[in-house]
Amino acid sequence: MFRRISQLAVLLLIFGAAPGLAEEEIEDVNQSRWRLGAAFGYGVRTNPLVQADDIPIIVDVDIAWFGDHWFFDNGDLGLTFADNHTLTASVVARFNSDRIFFGKTDTRFVSFGVGGLPLSEAVEFKVPDRDYAIELGLEMLTDGPWGRLQLTAFHDVSNTHEGYELYADYSFGWRKQRLYLEPSFGASYKSANLNNYYWGVTDAEAGVIVAPYEAGAGVNWHTRFKLGYQLSRHWAVSIVAEYERINDEAAASPIVEDRNVLGYFTGVSYRF
Amino acid sequence: MRLLGLLALLLPALAISDEAATDDMQLTVKPLLCITDNRNPSCDMSFLIVWQSIATGYYCLFSDFTDAPMRCWNEERKGELNDDRIVTQDFSFWMTGSEADTRLAEVNVEVLRLDSDDRRRRRRTRHVWDIN
Repeated sequence: MFRRISQLAVLLLIFGAAPGLAEEEIEDVNQSRWRLGAAFGYGVRTNPLVQADDIPIIVDVDIAWFGDHWFFDNGDLGLTFADNHTLTASVVARFNSDRIFFGKTDTRFVSFGVGGLPLSEAVEFKVPDRDYAIELGLEMLTDGPWGRLQLTAFHDVSNTHEGYELYADYSFGWRKQRLYLEPSFGASYKSANLNNYYWGVTDAEAGVIVAPYEAGAGVNWHTRFKLGYQLSRHWAVSIVAEYERINDEAAASPIVEDRNVLGYFTGVSYRF
Repeated sequence: MRLLGLLALLLPALAISDEAATDDMQLTVKPLLCITDNRNPSCDMSFLIVWQSIATGYYCLFSDFTDAPMRCWNEERKGELNDDRIVTQDFSFWMTGSEADTRLAEVNVEVLRLDSDDRRRRRRTRHVWDIN
């Protein structure tokens, strides 16, 4: 069923480029189509994998371009096919976000095997590598005095994990002049194929250190708090804290050490 | 601690210039920035305008809101004024002397809109972080 998400997305990408498909053109003559910025400071996102380093955040670059229909937003490529007072709907292509943890793994010699049994000699072990998946899907954005809601459904179109993800995020922004607070929370359902590709262990990857493991579908939960203070037209101070709880199926994997992913960042940001 | 040190170095450089001056006239306005968004499209601001000159004389304070001066001072070398108003766009305060066409000092008040009608600009991406 969810393969149809990507099929529908492809169709909308093909036919959606026709002008006039969006119900209401997104245009603000005073606003640049570009959004360029960078944040400088210090932050960390913890890595749930065993034998893996946390992800440091020193600089975060923001590059986005928003046309009437097409947009590029920090690696996401989208085509908006509906935009009205109630919602904005787009077809979006993106890279999967689970892969990021696998780029910070280490090779180490391990003295304990499956079940914590001591080994006669240390064995070299590294978390198996995973590929980035290109995913295509639908995104719906809606907002009102009650806050903002982002709903997405993505399916792999690169034959990498061949699974899908459903995602929902609610946020509420509150501003008092220069001060801005934004709490948000949400969940993402990851299909068995997606979960198993990233967090499972195949027979070929298993050995004396980790046993084979097959992960089923599961739901990740996340919450986030952002605090910003605008210093001037271009500069702002940003403090962000985030928590994500990885689903039970992924958390039970022998390559997962901690199901809680914590992140924070404090620094200054510049918006051109 | 390193971060605090970095911020301490950066913040003076980021400090908003709230003074404008020729050699003879200094004009100071606070606050200088109005921030609006979809929920608050205007700012209800209370400005404190302070000027000081090296020479006693006749000076007038103008703004973009009216052609007439907001206030004039005779035989003074400094003065101040409180001005309450609702702001929706950039504008300036400036001082003149006896020649009304010559601006001795000028300060610009900026209106910064931080929200957009385009919902896509507020979407959350799943790249490494998403700070901005």
